[in-house]
Amino acid sequence: MEFEIPKMSAALPEMFVLGMACLILVIDLFLTDKNRIITYLLAQATLVGAAIASLGYQFGSPEIAFNGSFIRDAMGDTLKVFIYLSVFVVFLYSRSYLQARNLFRGEFFVLGLFGVLGMMIMVSAHSLLTLYLGLELLSLSMYALVAMNRDSSYSSEAAMKYFVLGALASGMLLYGMSMLYGVTGSLELSQISAGVATAGAGNMVLVFGLVFTVVGLAFKLGAVPFHMWVPDVYHGSPTAVTVYIGSAPKIAAFAMVMRLLVDGLEGLQEHWQGMLVILAILSLALGNITAIAQTNIKRMLAYSTIAHVGYLLLGVLSGSDSGYASAMFYTIVYALMSLGGFGMIMLLSRTGFEADRLDDFKGLNERSPWFAFMMLILMFSMAGVPVFLGFWAKLSVLSAVVEAEMVWLAAVAVVFSIIGAFYYLRVVKLMYFDKPEDNTPIDSEFDVRVMLSANSLAILVLGLFPGALMSLCVNAFAL
Amino acid sequence: MIALSDYLILAAILFGISVAGIFLNRKNIIVLLMSIELMLLAVNINFIAFSHYLGDIAGQVFVFFILTVAAAEAAIGLAILVVLFRNKHTINVEDLDSLKG
Amino acid sequence: MNFEQLLFYLFAAALLGSALMVITLRNPVHAALSLVLTFFSGAALWLLLEAEFLAITLVLVYVGAVMVLFLFVVMMLDINLAQLREGFVKLLPVGVVVALLVIGMMVYVVGPGNFGLEKFAEPVGHSADYSNTKELGRVLYTVYVYPFEIAAVILLVAIIAAISLALRKRPQGKRQDPDLQIAVRKKDRLRIVANNPKGQPGSNAGDKK
Repeated sequence: MEFEIPKMSAALPEMFVLGMACLILVIDLFLTDKNRIITYLLAQATLVGAAIASLGYQFGSPEIAFNGSFIRDAMGDTLKVFIYLSVFVVFLYSRSYLQARNLFRGEFFVLGLFGVLGMMIMVSAHSLLTLYLGLELLSLSMYALVAMNRDSSYSSEAAMKYFVLGALASGMLLYGMSMLYGVTGSLELSQISAGVATAGAGNMVLVFGLVFTVVGLAFKLGAVPFHMWVPDVYHGSPTAVTVYIGSAPKIAAFAMVMRLLVDGLEGLQEHWQGMLVILAILSLALGNITAIAQTNIKRMLAYSTIAHVGYLLLGVLSGSDSGYASAMFYTIVYALMSLGGFGMIMLLSRTGFEADRLDDFKGLNERSPWFAFMMLILMFSMAGVPVFLGFWAKLSVLSAVVEAEMVWLAAVAVVFSIIGAFYYLRVVKLMYFDKPEDNTPIDSEFDVRVMLSANSLAILVLGLFPGALMSLCVNAFAL
Repeated sequence: MIALSDYLILAAILFGISVAGIFLNRKNIIVLLMSIELMLLAVNINFIAFSHYLGDIAGQVFVFFILTVAAAEAAIGLAILVVLFRNKHTINVEDLDSLKG
Repeated sequence: MNFEQLLFYLFAAALLGSALMVITLRNPVHAALSLVLTFFSGAALWLLLEAEFLAITLVLVYVGAVMVLFLFVVMMLDINLAQLREGFVKLLPVGVVVALLVIGMMVYVVGPGNFGLEKFAEPVGHSADYSNTKELGRVLYTVYVYPFEIAAVILLVAIIAAISLALRKRPQGKRQDPDLQIAVRKKDRLRIVANNPKGQPGSNAGDKK
């Protein structure tokens, strides 16, 4: 039997994160609550180290290792770096939030790191098997994180709903994968791609498998009509977990869509394009319209996530390299904005007070003009007001759709983004024109304040100079 | 002679039964979880049948991993269920209505 | 009908019948036991497909571990059965229609037209000295070593998650601490008291004089 030792060096970042996560798990056992901060610092060091490993040792061309299970390419490296960055910011925001609620336990950071590992595996997956295993590693970590606050019935209810729907989605995805395997005879994405070409795009069984695969993907992405879990999970989880779920896993989900639909099933594009159009329109419509009716800002941002997933799908379905690059740009921008939005909720919250109602943002300008301004940047960017980063993201996605000669779809998307602007601007109105309900001074930790300011200002500055980030995404597909 | 289609039809019927189970037992989480196990069994039958008729071991390897993951998943799911029961003293899905909007 | 076909139809019928029982039985314990039967029938079918290792694994892992876990949880939780069954009869017609539609569509796609014997001939069985376990083991530790490691991490995450969710320290709970048990000294436990019932000097056990 032919077998060569796999090129381990390609998976260096994965191995580093795994090793550190196990190390932290053991070290955490010997720490008392007083010096639990060491766990936090080690987790952050792991993310920094992984970023160095990913950036420092790059391959010029895509490198397939481990007998076709693993691929290291420019898209993967870029996405991974943004995953580390997002989770770094999440951990930073979470520290004082968790400490104030007696949830500052080692498991949060360990499971968070294992989730990162799962995302990295998804991003670098080159076979159905690794894609599935990475997805499950991420999902299992997230189920446990959602239920982390064991005494909250909200959290456990959210975790149960998330778990049941997530397991159902995995089942659907697997059924689709089994059909793809049956027709193409391989689990490896490049061989599936070849198998699709041989079988032809008209093969009924392939399309049948594709339907199940897309349903599974839509569940995991949270696209309408498979979105039911998103608002409940965002609302029910501790905010530290919500910000985790709302940022980095979206980047990984984008990677999963790209690996499966583009790397593996590009031959079936005429079929999945239509499915994604339906998912995108429904997500845009339901996300933007339902968000208006929300009184809880975590639920509002959850519906806004659904709408943003719609835009992301618009980029993917245009089916060109520029479309994929715009979807990637959109995903990264969305992750940055989502971090800021949920970070703001954590900034305003304190022991026994979650600050998750829209009313809690009333009169923020009187309480803290600086953070009201930061929130203004975030909301304007999410709404897509020109010169903010979110605007460029929407613009690039829409121009990709127009390039694909679907002008009507772009028009629909513009209409819904105008509707969507309403609820973002309502938050701004509450902050600047309403009287505050309580005047407790904002007493959050110094590092959270600095990070949140940096996060919002980055969106402002990158909005003024969007070229750098955009060219990073274009280069990822320029091979 | 047993054809590949016989196994696939069997798996498809099992998949349909599990979908019906999810639909009918929307109130009872335990049976809901069991229906999901049925769905995974259907998928596994598919993979093994394909693996046998294609003469390719990869399908069996996939099943090996699905079994591993499903066992891990069941452990976490039941742990969540226990936590939920401690908090709410029910596993009736209709009582899980505190998250709304 | 040859012997293999007989076995196939026998176990297929058992599989589907017990699967139907899983979703219709009133009592979750009975449903769990039906699921055990489903897994046994599934394992028998896998033997027909020459997947011996996985057939044994299905019985060991699913029947032996996962279903026992299910039964533990079902019996641990005090579940109101009547309440859980409400709406079942009302949903039944819709459920049956949905299931038949799904099955009809799927059977059409995976039926003999696409996967019949003329498309996929029945493969020649392996020779008697073929070991399915050996074959699986060989690829598992070479070609699929990367997924294998990921599976190990998934199991580790499951352990961490299950323990961190379900374990709680009960302050009122009684438990042994071997460390303290070993470290105990005679003076901690044994107290020698002067016992002088009759008031006579010298009759005391502790008194040497």
